[in-house]
Amino acid sequence: MNPTDTSMPMRTALALGALLAAAAPVAAQERSIDIYYGSKPTEYQVAITGPATVESPSYAFRCARILPVTSPPIENGILLTRNGRIVAFGPADEVAIPDGYEVVDLGDRWCIPGLVELHCHVAGRGFDLNDTVHQTNPEMRTIDLVTMDHEALRNALAGGVTTTLFIPGSGSNMGGFGTLTKTWGRTPEEALIRFPGCLKIAQAGNPERRSGDLGLTPLGMNEGLRRTLETGREYHLAWEAWQRGEGPKPELKPNLEYLRGLFRHEYPIAVHTQIYQVALQTIRQLRGEFGLWTIIVHGTFDAYRLSEVAVEAGVPVANGPRQYHFDRGSGWGSNSRRESEFVGLAGEWFRGGMHGFTHSQRGVGIDGIAVNTDSPVIAQEQLSLQCAMAVRLGLPDEVGLRAMTINPARFIRIDDRVGSIEVGKDADLAFYSGDPIDPRSFVEATVVNGNIAYRRDPRRPRF
Amino acid sequence: MKPMHPLLTVAAAGLAALLLADSATSQRPRRRPDGAPPGAPTPEAPPPAEAKPEPKVESWTAIQGGDVYLGDGTILRRATVLIGDDKIRGVGHDLQIPEGAHIVDATGKVVSPGFCIVHASGFGAPRSGNDVRDGLNPFDPQIKMGLAAGITSFLWTSSGGSDKPGGKSCVVKLAFGDLEGMVGPEDTVVSMRVPLNVQQMRAFRELVRQAREHQQKLRELEGKEGTKPPKAPNGTEELLAIMDGRKTLWISGQPSFGGRFGGGGGPSEGFGVDQIRQAMEIAELVGQGVVLDVPVAAWVIPDEIAATGSMVIDDPRSRTEPIPGREATTGSNIAQAAILAEVGVPVAVTTGGGGFGGPSIGTGGILGQDLNTPTVDACYAVRGGLPNRRAIRTLALDAARIMGAEARIGSLQEGRDADVLILDGDPLHYKTFVEIAFVNGKLVYEKDREPFYRHVQR
Repeated sequence: MNPTDTSMPMRTALALGALLAAAAPVAAQERSIDIYYGSKPTEYQVAITGPATVESPSYAFRCARILPVTSPPIENGILLTRNGRIVAFGPADEVAIPDGYEVVDLGDRWCIPGLVELHCHVAGRGFDLNDTVHQTNPEMRTIDLVTMDHEALRNALAGGVTTTLFIPGSGSNMGGFGTLTKTWGRTPEEALIRFPGCLKIAQAGNPERRSGDLGLTPLGMNEGLRRTLETGREYHLAWEAWQRGEGPKPELKPNLEYLRGLFRHEYPIAVHTQIYQVALQTIRQLRGEFGLWTIIVHGTFDAYRLSEVAVEAGVPVANGPRQYHFDRGSGWGSNSRRESEFVGLAGEWFRGGMHGFTHSQRGVGIDGIAVNTDSPVIAQEQLSLQCAMAVRLGLPDEVGLRAMTINPARFIRIDDRVGSIEVGKDADLAFYSGDPIDPRSFVEATVVNGNIAYRRDPRRPRF
Repeated sequence: MKPMHPLLTVAAAGLAALLLADSATSQRPRRRPDGAPPGAPTPEAPPPAEAKPEPKVESWTAIQGGDVYLGDGTILRRATVLIGDDKIRGVGHDLQIPEGAHIVDATGKVVSPGFCIVHASGFGAPRSGNDVRDGLNPFDPQIKMGLAAGITSFLWTSSGGSDKPGGKSCVVKLAFGDLEGMVGPEDTVVSMRVPLNVQQMRAFRELVRQAREHQQKLRELEGKEGTKPPKAPNGTEELLAIMDGRKTLWISGQPSFGGRFGGGGGPSEGFGVDQIRQAMEIAELVGQGVVLDVPVAAWVIPDEIAATGSMVIDDPRSRTEPIPGREATTGSNIAQAAILAEVGVPVAVTTGGGGFGGPSIGTGGILGQDLNTPTVDACYAVRGGLPNRRAIRTLALDAARIMGAEARIGSLQEGRDADVLILDGDPLHYKTFVEIAFVNGKLVYEKDREPFYRHVQR
């Protein structure tokens, strides 16, 4: 779409204006969150990562507009990719196409970084991922289930999603370890970004069902989590002591190995948590008491009232898929109306507000909010609809685009590889027919690690 | 003691709610009985009748200056919609506005017909029972939530048919506070399902034959005085109504197995080409177009569907994977609405199922999956290639046709019910909100006066 076309619908023009303003200075209340990562490990010891480079053809993509997210939009752009990485991008008259690059002309399409999903259960075929073998299950993992050749992942690509955090279900209190994977690869090994991507913990609104006598309520569940994490921390400390030459070599315990990486801050806990009281538990116990790198996933119902607590603890929020809280009585939205209103959750987390307190609560800011689908609860390909709904109820457009790209990448600390269009980053791209937040815009092509993983067939588009 | 008639119970509850509502809003200026806001000039008598006698109208409202979406895909820029009492009395650029009409300035806004929803439940209508009137609650708060989403009417159904047409239906209007106003056209739709097995199909053909015979007898008796018309053969009543065009036949198919959480059953075509062709055979037998209720593979044979004058309810986001090796003729396709519209088949959209969305969940699901945003499904039809301008028909004119109620609802045209929305932008844009809704000419929703979305300001 030509941005100067006066027939452009008013709303598209507004959205475009907002997207173009994405690089503008951020207002004070929109300041970013200082995510708590713990002490950064110098290298992975427990976690494994995927290949450093992935083979791919050399492409020169042409399109009408590039939205790199972390830098200003580019009109009439060219983007060069080679061996899985972005090697150059810019306006067509400034980027020379070297010999040996195949030109892919995407006409009036818009290019954005591939979308990042932090709450996915479909990177393997449709299994039930809720297993409670023990009261807590730190020995379980999803990496063995990842398969690239199935419909849910192909649909994800048609929705522009290129990175997912494939996690166990929330039917188990401590469900096991998730895998960060691309949505396309010749093999799961090639698609792998990092394993473990995170530990999955679920604190309310599902785990109650499977824990039997041991932890049917938060009392028992918190006790189980605490005991397991304490054991993991002791195990971790014993290995650290041995490495410093201060103790005997610990006995290898495979069921505790991944917890070791958790305490080394190699990866976070992604916590299925919702409702004010439960999310407060998450922040106090997991982030506060155990000092773990913690991400809230869901963060629904009235948990948004913790925005200042979250920002002070450095805990970012991947919100959704509900996207609104219909508050029938308290009406603790930013305007403190004591009536039934549709509280837009992502907007409230982002912006903060009175939230029923005596003073305004800080929000998690432009870097602290993401959206997610919990696929297959919401189909993986509808990630951008989560964003549209968040924006509908008050999240600014430019934050909306960040909420499905750079922000989730930063939460899980793979923002050096994905989440924005930058030279040296992975060539993960989605080409849209227009405003990528608008559900009417379709994905023309999706690129993963420099390979064209999806092309739309107009007579039978996948999505 | 004889139990109170259900309708009386509702009326009593309604009266109580009315009293409560009145006391709760007593500090606000009262709305005038004609629906005009306080302070608006009192309407005076309409101008004297000219050539043909005008209907006697008590109250006029002129919505002026907005971009008017007629509901059929046409847009009139900066036009006027004239409402007289409960009906639309004119739409256009050069309307004569009766003196004393209440003027609503819609400059910079969009004016559109209220959305007609083919699959829904709740909104003040009973969840079961055979008579919708027995359970209507015009004060159900969900009606206001529906209006906030632009919904002004939906098709209430109860106990559809199986191997032959049956079931009760009623177009329920979201006329908040108006029990009688909620009841729209009744029994416009009956339903059945395919596939029919050989015996069922044979029985169906036999019923059609009897119905035709009966029609023939009636024709022969036409004009003959003093002869009592014969009684319709048993079981042909609904068929005769369909064949006469008094009722619209909806046909659903066998759902596909499997599902998003995996497991269960092998690959299944669902409401695929074979079942659709059987539905088309039924359409040919009854001599009327039918409605295919969420077919999977209508996109494979659009011309066959168009040829029978049939219509389609589409769920653009639902997925049925193709049968391996038969990809060209099985499985769902997000381009289905576009492909059907291209050959002139009317298409309505519906909100998909799943545990957190769909028609039965009403406004209580996950945002984007439930009836708080019925436009999202039209958006996905556009994503599949349906022209944006035409997509409004999936919630307006085409939806009303599919409900058998296009004479009353679904378009802004003289004589139609005055179910009108004023929106703050393109009806299908994700940031657009309903600012004002009229149902039966009455102002029933104002964004700024209701708690749901008034905090969302741009």
